[in-house]
Amino acid sequence: MNFQKQVAVILGISILFGASFNLLRDTGIPWKSIPIEKVDETKAIEDNFDEPSIREIGLEVAKSLQSNGILFVDARAEEYLEDGYIPGAIANDDTETLSQQVATLIGFDKVFVIYCSDDDCGSSEELAYELQEFGFNNILVFKGGWKSWLEAGLGVEHRE
Amino acid sequence: MIRFLLGAIFIYASYDKILDPAKFARDISNYHIIPFGLENTIAIILPWLELIIGLGIVFGVCIDANVFISGGLLISFIILILQAILRGFDIECGCGLKDGDMVGWSKIIENFLFIGACYIIHESKARMLEFYPKSSL
Repeated sequence: MNFQKQVAVILGISILFGASFNLLRDTGIPWKSIPIEKVDETKAIEDNFDEPSIREIGLEVAKSLQSNGILFVDARAEEYLEDGYIPGAIANDDTETLSQQVATLIGFDKVFVIYCSDDDCGSSEELAYELQEFGFNNILVFKGGWKSWLEAGLGVEHRE
Repeated sequence: MIRFLLGAIFIYASYDKILDPAKFARDISNYHIIPFGLENTIAIILPWLELIIGLGIVFGVCIDANVFISGGLLISFIILILQAILRGFDIECGCGLKDGDMVGWSKIIENFLFIGACYIIHESKARMLEFYPKSSL
């Protein structure tokens, strides 16, 4: 078998194994990624959800939810919180401890918001999926994050 | 020795990604460069490619082809990490070697070392435990 054929065989076997394993497993993923649903209005957010959901919100909805006392979770590493955070937000580098804090504060079905540094930061979405595995059903990801909150000139809190 | 080490690294890197392709797809998505929703496609196939490359290198099957593909993958990883650094992304690299490993210059150096290992393996005349088919570029 010449070199080119070997490369083709290796690639072909990888595709075959990858596709088969994905098809057969319970936790297979779709071939094309689907972006998380975006919610543009506060009234579209139900306080309790029967099925686990992760949805995206922008600055306006985040502002409205924060002023209504909805819990915010800061997904940034704790060292970044020295610069400030959204008022009332909680944070913990240990996800298990964080999940216990959230559960104690609001339970598993009430909506809460996770944010990180900015639109390009993936920590908020990653934390959302981790917390979903702990049993939380109604998670919103504020994509603009800390940067858009600051740029809008909104109130911030600092650690004492 | 370098051959077995490189192969083992690829096998190890593939493990978590095979177990949790959804997480790997999210890591890929954080680079903000893959178009058309192909993050999932890559997340389904790439870990298996790494596993098969690793096994091939360790067990001496199609070493040259596997090392060639490894080198190509490593160059791609360097480009991805470099663009993430230049764009200021503070994201996990998705390399599969260490939990919470972030993109940074150390990852680029690490990948260059792996490319060096690929080159040494390819240029090496002595091939311990290399099985049929022997290949040549």
